[in-house]
Amino acid sequence: MKMAWKEMQKNKAKFIILGSIIFLVSLLTFIISGLANGLSHDNAGLIKDLPDGHFYMTEDAEEMYNLSTINNGTQEDILMNQENSVALSIQMGFVNDQFDKQRSVAFVTSTDSDLFEQVSSGEIILDRSLEDEGIKVGDTLTHNQSNGTFLVKGFVNQKKYSHTPVAYISTEDYQDIYQTSDMQLIFIPGTENVQQFTGLQAFTNQEFLKTIPSYSAEQMSLNMIVWFLIVISGMLFAIFFYMMNVQKIGLYGILKAIGVKTSTLFQMMWTQMVVITSIALTVSIAGSQIFNSLAPNGMPFSLTIETTLQLSCVFLIIGFVGATLSGFQIKKVEALQAIQQGEM
Amino acid sequence: MDRFTMEKVRKTFTNGETKEDILKGINLSLMEGEVTALVGASGSGKSTLLTIAAGLQSATEGTIQFDGQNIATMKSDQIRKIRASKFGFVFQFAHLVPFLTVKEQLLLMLDIADSKQKKVDKKKEVDRILKLVGMEHRKDSYPTSLSGGEKQRVAIARAIIHKPKVLFADEPTASLDSKRSREVMALLRDITKTYHIATLLVTHDEEMLIFTDRVIKMLDGKILAESN
Ligand SMILES: Nc1ncnc2c1ncn2[C@@H]1O[C@H](COP(=O)(O)OP(=O)(O)OP(=O)(O)O)[C@@H](O)[C@H]1O
Ligand SMILES: [Mg+2]
Repeated sequence: MKMAWKEMQKNKAKFIILGSIIFLVSLLTFIISGLANGLSHDNAGLIKDLPDGHFYMTEDAEEMYNLSTINNGTQEDILMNQENSVALSIQMGFVNDQFDKQRSVAFVTSTDSDLFEQVSSGEIILDRSLEDEGIKVGDTLTHNQSNGTFLVKGFVNQKKYSHTPVAYISTEDYQDIYQTSDMQLIFIPGTENVQQFTGLQAFTNQEFLKTIPSYSAEQMSLNMIVWFLIVISGMLFAIFFYMMNVQKIGLYGILKAIGVKTSTLFQMMWTQMVVITSIALTVSIAGSQIFNSLAPNGMPFSLTIETTLQLSCVFLIIGFVGATLSGFQIKKVEALQAIQQGEM
Repeated sequence: MDRFTMEKVRKTFTNGETKEDILKGINLSLMEGEVTALVGASGSGKSTLLTIAAGLQSATEGTIQFDGQNIATMKSDQIRKIRASKFGFVFQFAHLVPFLTVKEQLLLMLDIADSKQKKVDKKKEVDRILKLVGMEHRKDSYPTSLSGGEKQRVAIARAIIHKPKVLFADEPTASLDSKRSREVMALLRDITKTYHIATLLVTHDEEMLIFTDRVIKMLDGKILAESN
């Protein structure tokens, strides 16, 4: 594959331009996908960190968990018979800090479980983001509607719901504030078998996330951008190699006439595509990791190496397909026409 | 000695409804160490004959004997192998690979011909052939920096480096001035003699016939006359 390499050396500018474009497009893709992932944590870290399982809400809630009320009988029945199952409620609300500044929180309460923080009445555990805003362990928070007070017991990482920091409170306090003893949801971890309960509708974690209105909208638009960028990069490859091949039709014809195999010409193109893409991807993986570590704290950005590698594979495959599609010209080139044409 | 023979070769092009006979029964042999010139009016079928002989397009009818085999009935990959290892080509334009140096063009040809020589020997061979065509001082140049005549000499070097048995040349001097044309023709003749190649050469230029051993005149797809 010396020819492929020689051509790249001789036509550095062309290939560097292609490489830079692929670098920029893939870097953008990585960053947007990091943003999508970060936003999804920021939106629903509470749910995303749970083990795979199923959520249940009442059927007449019509997929809106805050309209769901599971009666005590059903709840007790399920909690008794299903291992590790837990009943929980989530409600958006406010607490006031020591300076009487109002903070939005998502109150979460649950029956006894390892999956959710447990606190005694009068206590509260908060998402770490509120610590960054100046609330400390030992502070007392007040709640306007119920005149109750909460003693801050501690902070937990990455627990958000609908972009709002989670505040774990006891079931007693929850009943006090919202005047109901019914829980909204039941969660059963484990995916082996989906249990059916009359009157209840089951949701996988993923399906449950989609019932959060902002969640689907955010993820869909960002993922669409990611796929658009991937398709664009595929087309870039196709167009670039198409142009290159058009310029080289005469050369291909001559090479075929003197006995070069068509497959050799394809390999030459593939080598170039793989080399360019690999270099561009390596640089943009490095770039995206630097961005990952430099991104400001408040920016919801989270990009794992696995995601980058997966996307890189997609880029390579798409590049291969793009180059190959444009390479069908090579196949069609007749040695004869090329010879009868003039100098390239 | 006969190196290459064509017998009763016909070529018909079908253009929609109409069929056109371009070659109407060609019999011809090429001898080793001889330059055979093919002349005739434009459109008489010279290029068609040459490309069929070289296996670049198929004949409608007839046999083409080379090395005890009939090329006319071979599969395309078999013909490709023969083109790569046993045939050499020179065309009106040099058609060099733009991103390879003169030396690399020739090494590439040795690879294409699947030469089993060692790398050192290949390099020696390249130097030798470049000296023969008078281009050794430009062996590290790229084609864009060569003149038309120089390119054509490199093209000839590429056509013969793998020691082909038959050399096909279609108007190799058409893009050169008469001084350069004579140089290139003398070179082709000398190489034909030195390496015992059978050379088939199409030319428009009467002046160049002094460098050839035999002249075949074509008219309307038929061989009109043959003279020594
Ligand atoms: N692929 C083709 N389809 C149809 N007709 C063709 C094809 N190739 C060549 N011809 C016709 O065959 C005839 C002979 O063409 P050819 O190129 O062999 O002529 P030539 O003797 O080489 O002419 P010139 O001296 O101008 O190069 C021409 O009339 C040409 O139009
Ligand atoms: Mg012609």
